[in-house]
Amino acid sequence: MALRGRVPLLLLLGLVPVLVRPAMSTVWLWVLAVSLLVLADWLLAPSPDTVGLDRPPVGTVRLGHPAETVLLASNTGSRRVRGRLRDAWQPTAGAQENRHRLRLGPGDRTVLRTPLLPRRRGDLRAVGVTVRTHGPLGLAARQRTRQVAGSVRSLPPFEARRHLPSRLARLRDLDGRAAVRVRGQGTEFDSLREYVRGDDVRSIDWRASARNRNVVVRTWQPERDRRVVLVLDTSRTSAGRVEDVPRLDSAMDAALLLAALAARAGDRIDFVAGDRRVRSRVRSAGAKDVVANLQDTMADLEPVIAEADWASLAGAVSGFGRQRALVVLLTPLEPAAIEEGLLPVLPSLTRHHRVVLASVKDPALEQLAATRGTLDEVYDAAAAEQVLVRRRRTAGLLRALGVDVVDADAEQLPPALADHYLDLKARCLL
Amino acid sequence: MSATATASAPATPATSWWGRQRATLLIVLGLAAAVVVVLVLGGGGVRTSTPLDPDNPDPAGAQALARVLEDHGVDVTVVRGADALARAGVQAGTTVLVTSTDQLGDSTVRRMLDDTRGARLVLAGPGPGTTAALGVSGLPFTVSVGDARPAGCDDPRFADLSMQVDHALEYPGPDGCFGGEHGALVAEPRQGLTLLGASEALSNDQVLRSDNAAVLLRLLGGGNRLVWYVPSIDDLVADDGVSLSTLLPRWIRPGLWLGALALVALVAWRARRLGPLATEPLPVVVKAIETTHSRGRLYRRSGDRAHAADALRSAARSRARERLQLGAGDDTALVRAVAHQVGRPVEAVALLLGPDGPAPTTDHDLIALANDLAALDREVRRT
Repeated sequence: MALRGRVPLLLLLGLVPVLVRPAMSTVWLWVLAVSLLVLADWLLAPSPDTVGLDRPPVGTVRLGHPAETVLLASNTGSRRVRGRLRDAWQPTAGAQENRHRLRLGPGDRTVLRTPLLPRRRGDLRAVGVTVRTHGPLGLAARQRTRQVAGSVRSLPPFEARRHLPSRLARLRDLDGRAAVRVRGQGTEFDSLREYVRGDDVRSIDWRASARNRNVVVRTWQPERDRRVVLVLDTSRTSAGRVEDVPRLDSAMDAALLLAALAARAGDRIDFVAGDRRVRSRVRSAGAKDVVANLQDTMADLEPVIAEADWASLAGAVSGFGRQRALVVLLTPLEPAAIEEGLLPVLPSLTRHHRVVLASVKDPALEQLAATRGTLDEVYDAAAAEQVLVRRRRTAGLLRALGVDVVDADAEQLPPALADHYLDLKARCLL
Repeated sequence: MSATATASAPATPATSWWGRQRATLLIVLGLAAAVVVVLVLGGGGVRTSTPLDPDNPDPAGAQALARVLEDHGVDVTVVRGADALARAGVQAGTTVLVTSTDQLGDSTVRRMLDDTRGARLVLAGPGPGTTAALGVSGLPFTVSVGDARPAGCDDPRFADLSMQVDHALEYPGPDGCFGGEHGALVAEPRQGLTLLGASEALSNDQVLRSDNAAVLLRLLGGGNRLVWYVPSIDDLVADDGVSLSTLLPRWIRPGLWLGALALVALVAWRARRLGPLATEPLPVVVKAIETTHSRGRLYRRSGDRAHAADALRSAARSRARERLQLGAGDDTALVRAVAHQVGRPVEAVALLLGPDGPAPTTDHDLIALANDLAALDREVRRT
């Protein structure tokens, strides 16, 4: 039961008879008449259940990009339905204009479109569809809320995409597709081509030049078909927010950039995410759409308030195969968590693979250490210095075990990790 | 209509306007018709809606009493306004009943007393202003008479009778009938002037309660003639004191009630949401820096200056070591290198940076030490 705006207006209209016959009984008679009208209107309103609702799947969209959900409403009853419909979504789905006017004759169908603008990563769900049908007099309405399943998958935004062109240019440099080749970059023999000025004379293939009228040089290309395993830590340490962005999201950004780059370089990318247990695992044998694939997998990952079980994660890594790989651990450099969880299983990883640890640094920590105005700040600075020292010591420990540590701010981590990968590739260390 | 149609076919503008407004028009027409019917059925004949008026058949009117008095052979003359009262020719022995006493002002009371000299004057529920104008001392009290109240006086007219009304006025005074806590419902402050506090007993719906009818018939039907005076507010002259209720139009109270009910309907209309609130499954918000902050607060609470100074010094040492590219060696070598780098005495640098430097004894010393270390750090970096 819902009243409509005409009811108070109608009650106010009762001032006319009150002016004509100023007594309280006039008021009560008028109110009684209006109540009877409202009741009759409510009884005459068609049931909201006669409106059939159906929603095709919305699909996926990148976070912050507009999407649209479609609701098919049909009148299954034999009476005309007029009213309102609200397609409610959880607030971060950004369904702003989700109220629609319904005007359906018997058997009619209509398409109601609600624009969505996701503001949060993950599966954002529809909360319920409320149908309100108006009575013939327009005084009262019936209302019911029904569940019509629907969700939009909001993919990680991949902000680091803007770093991709410059890194691809560097990759092409390595490849020799764009620029002059330097001997020693890459070890796989690629092809022979004519000598141009600037080429390293040491790369001239004399035997081939002898058979040719021109001087011919050998070209080399970096190894292809290497394996890159991305390990995303979704444990409690990844839930911490740096400048209000969870570390997990920054780590995802870095992982996506590295995956996009490695896919272009011809490497195969495997992905595993987990905390206490393995949450998701993607095996892509050099697929072209590896980034889209990874985004889809990452969309529904949320930090879990639990300690990471590195033994099972390392098991998942070796489950991808025994071939030597670049294992990138995307986990914050938290001394306690690393030393107790990761260090015991690291030797088994470093024995077979090259391991890189990519961590999101909190700039607030250094700021805290540098601010020393009041007594509180000095104590905070002492605490921050202690944390920094422990971080440095843990990083040293990891380096001693043969692990490369890339520790950078949230903004800087994706390009730093990509550069580190290109370095390794250039030095044939994959 | 086919099932694939995407929307109901738009009607022509005129039809759609009619379709939109049809309900409104129907409602307005229906209610207007109802108003007309009520007016036609109820508006016939001479009638008013003034309370306690002899021509008012409503529950608040007093037509029943007027009719009964006429049936008992009393000549009831209804006069409206002071001029009509003057023309009515009131003689000694006539009973004059005054209702709507809140319409009386100082000047009309004076004219009324002049015009009714010698007659028996009965005023129905006069308020404080009117009693003052009549020269009666004491203010009336508003009471409710839930149970029938016996006469309790030696007036033979009211012997063994009792009255019951919803609301009444009690007039303080030495004698009077139907007395209560504050005074009497029927008071006779002077000869020929009766104040009827239980004026509601005149009304059509309360006249039959208890012995109200008998009391009124004996009070008003004593003579052959009854002049029923309904004063009019039009007779008032300037600077007459009247009660506030006489100045307000009579539709104000029901109008306000109607407005309040409309407000309630407005609230009911706006308060009904189109479906429940949409909720968000909220993520855990953990600030990465939080543990460091709480560790700092812990130091602060325990007041561990030595520990804090230690942490600051060792951090400064490790930074200087990195900057000067010294290996992890002994601290004296580092102190010497730093002193050489920044051009300060070795002892001063050792006091500041060395692991054996004195622990600060006061909070102020700690702050000073922290800032000195920061300054030294900057110097090392600059050179």
